[in-house]
Amino acid sequence: MGKSWLKRQSLLGYAFIGPNMLGVLVFFILPAIYSFYLMFTDYRFMNPELHFVGFDNIKRMLGDELFYVSLRNTVVFLLSVPVSILLAFLVAAALNKAVYWKKTLRALYFMPYITSGVAVAFVWMLLFQPSDGPINGLLRAIGVSHPPGWLSTTDTSMLAIDIIWVWFMLGYNMIIYLAALQEIPEELLEAAKIDGAKPWQIMGRIVWPLVSPTTFLLLVTGLIMSIKTFGIIQAITQGGPGNSTTVLSLFIYQNAFRYYEMGYASAISWSLFAIILIFTALQWIGQKRWVHY
Amino acid sequence: MRGQSQTQAGTGRKKRWGAAVSGLLLASLLGGCVGMGGNQQATGASGGSEAAAEGPVKLTMWGGVPPENGPQQVVDDWNAKNPDIQVEYVRYVNDDDGNLKLDTALSTGQNVDLFVNYAKSNLDKRIKSGVALDLAEFKDYDIDKMIGPEAASWKIDDKYYGLPTTRNSTFVALNADALEKAGLPIPQEWTWDEAREYARKLKESGFRYGLVQHTASYSDPLDSAMVADGYTKEDGTSNMDDPLVGKWLETLNAMMKEDGSTPPLGEQLTSKMPVENLFLGGDAAMLNIGGWLLRSSNNQKDFPRDFKIAFAPVPRLMENAADYTTSGGVGDIISVNAKTPNKEAAWKFLKWYADGGMMPMAPGGRIPASSAADRDEALKQMLGGQEATYDQPSLEYVMFGSGIPTFNRDLSQEMVDMRAQEYEKYFLGAQTAEEAMANMVKQHNAFLEKNK
Repeated sequence: MGKSWLKRQSLLGYAFIGPNMLGVLVFFILPAIYSFYLMFTDYRFMNPELHFVGFDNIKRMLGDELFYVSLRNTVVFLLSVPVSILLAFLVAAALNKAVYWKKTLRALYFMPYITSGVAVAFVWMLLFQPSDGPINGLLRAIGVSHPPGWLSTTDTSMLAIDIIWVWFMLGYNMIIYLAALQEIPEELLEAAKIDGAKPWQIMGRIVWPLVSPTTFLLLVTGLIMSIKTFGIIQAITQGGPGNSTTVLSLFIYQNAFRYYEMGYASAISWSLFAIILIFTALQWIGQKRWVHY
Repeated sequence: MRGQSQTQAGTGRKKRWGAAVSGLLLASLLGGCVGMGGNQQATGASGGSEAAAEGPVKLTMWGGVPPENGPQQVVDDWNAKNPDIQVEYVRYVNDDDGNLKLDTALSTGQNVDLFVNYAKSNLDKRIKSGVALDLAEFKDYDIDKMIGPEAASWKIDDKYYGLPTTRNSTFVALNADALEKAGLPIPQEWTWDEAREYARKLKESGFRYGLVQHTASYSDPLDSAMVADGYTKEDGTSNMDDPLVGKWLETLNAMMKEDGSTPPLGEQLTSKMPVENLFLGGDAAMLNIGGWLLRSSNNQKDFPRDFKIAFAPVPRLMENAADYTTSGGVGDIISVNAKTPNKEAAWKFLKWYADGGMMPMAPGGRIPASSAADRDEALKQMLGGQEATYDQPSLEYVMFGSGIPTFNRDLSQEMVDMRAQEYEKYFLGAQTAEEAMANMVKQHNAFLEKNK
C-alpha cells in the first residue's frame, strides 16, 4: 500500500511539472540540441542547402577578428556587474537606516528596472548627446573644457553603456540587498556597538560578511544575465560606433538574424555557453573563500 | 492517464482537484497542437480549387510601407473593382526584424501571395529558398519594355523573380532660398570638392550645418566609385582601397573636422540625428537623401518651412562625369510566392498595381516605373498641392532628365556593415584613412575567399 501511495504521489508530481517541462522541452531543449547540430553545418536560414562542415565554424570563429573584439567588449561590459552590486549595497545600507523619504527613495531606485528598455535607451541617448546633452552641459559648467564624447566615440562608448547598465541593475540589486539586511539580527549590531565598533567597522566586518550569500547570488545571476543581454545595446548603438560596443550576444544576433548564418551563430552561441559555464564554475569554487553561510 | 484516473478514484479532494487541473492543462496543450495542425490542413485545402468555386480568391500582400501611406488605398481601390479577388495588405517593417518575419512566414508556408523586396541581397535569399516565382512563365507582360532598361539590374541569373514597380530617386535637396542668397547656382552635376565648397559657404551664411546626409544614402558615393572601378581588382582581390574611397573618406572627414560643415558621424549615429527635421527646420542647408523626403516635406503641418526646395544630383567622386553612376533606378520589386495556389490572380493584381494601380502611393514619393502609368499625374500627386514650395525644373531634372545611369548595390550585407564599421572608426579618429582602407581590403579578401 505504502509503495503504491508513493508511486501515486510521484506520478502526481510529474503531472504537476508536466506542462512546464513540456514547454521547456519544446522551446528550449530541442532547439538547443538542434543548434548543437547546426554548429557543425553551414546552414543559412532561407537556403535549403546544408552541408556537414565539421569544425569549420569553430575554426572560422577563432580566426575572426570580430569575435575577439566582441569578447573584449563583453569583458568590459561585465565590469558593470560588480560595480552595480557594490553601489547597490551602499544604497541599500543607507536606505535601511532612518533616512527621510525612505519609501519614496526605494521606489525611485527601483524605477529603472521596471521601465521599458527602449524608453531607457532613448532617454540615455539624449542625456549623453555630446554637443548639447545635459551631462556634457553640466561637465562644461563645472569647468571640464573637453567632456568625453560618450556614446559617440569608440573609446568611451562601452563606458557609457556600462554606466547605463549599472544604473539599470541598481534597483534590482538594491531590493535584494534590502531583504538581506532585514534578516540581520539587531542583537549582533547592538553588541558590536556596545563593544565600541565604529559604523564603518560594523559595515565591513559584520554586515558585509553576513550578506555575502546575497552578494554571491547577485554576482552569479548578474553576470549570467549581463552576458546574455543585447537588447539595450541593440537599441542604443547597434554595436557601434565602429564595432566598439559589439558584445558576444549581439554578435550572435547579427550573424543569425541579420546575415542568416545559423551554423556560425550556433558555434558562437555554444562558445558563449562554455564561457558562462566556466565562469560560473570558477565562481562556485571561489566562493568558499569569501561567502559565509 | 491511468495514473490520473487512479488518483481521482483513490485520494482526497485536493489531490483530485490538482490532477484534474494538470490533466486539463496537458489536454489543452495537446489539444492546441492538434487544433493547429487541423487548421493548417483546412487552410491548405481552402486555398485550392474549392475556394475558387465557393467565394472570392483571397490574396495577401506583404510590403514595407505603412498602410496609411498609400497601400491601404491601393488595395481598397482594387477590392472595390474586383469582387472575385480580394487583396489584404500586411505591413512588415523593412529592417532586420521585419525581413526575418517575412522570411519566416515565407519559409513556413503562411499565407503570403505577394511580397515586396527592397534590396537585392534580400531578394537573392528568397530566390535561393525557392519562394520567388520566375516571372518568365507569364507571357503577357514585357518587363524590359514596360519598366525600361533599368529593370535589368534586378535580374538574377538573367531572370526576373520580381517586378520592379517604382522609380527610385536619390538626390541632394537644397534650400533654394539660401543658395540664391549666397549666390550659388543649383548644380546639375558636381564633384564632392564642389559640394564641400557649397557646404562651407552655406555654413558661413549662418546655417548650423552646410550638408547633412541620411544614413540610407551615406555610403552611396562609395558604391558609385566601386561600380566605376570595380569591387574587385583584375586578380580577384578586393578593390576597397581604390583612390576614390580615400578621396571620399578624406573629403568628408575634412568637412566634419576642419569645416564643421557636416555633423561628425559618431554624433549623428548615436543621437539618431533626425536629418529631415534639421533640413526642413532650416538648420541644415543641404540634405543628401532620396524620394522619401517628400513624405515629410509635403507635410507642412508637422514640418513647417518658409523656403523653396531645389534638387541636385548626388555629387560624384571621380573627375570625369561620364564615369558617374548614381543610386536609384527602379525599386520596390514585387515577387509572387512560388508556392501560392493563386498565381494567376496574384499576377493579375500585380500587373494592375504596376501599371498605375499604385498611384495612391505617389504622395509618399513612390512614382510608378511602368510606362503605362501616368507620370505627370504621379508627379502632381507626389507634390500633393505643394508645387509652389518646390523648384520644379530641378526636381524633374533629377528624377527624369539628368540621364545619369543608375546602379543597384550588389554587395552583401556583411560587407556593407564591415565597410561602415571601418569608416566610422576613421571618422571618429580611431584609425587613419590608410588603416581603414587596409582593414576593409583585408576583411573583404577574407570574405571573398570564404565565399569562393
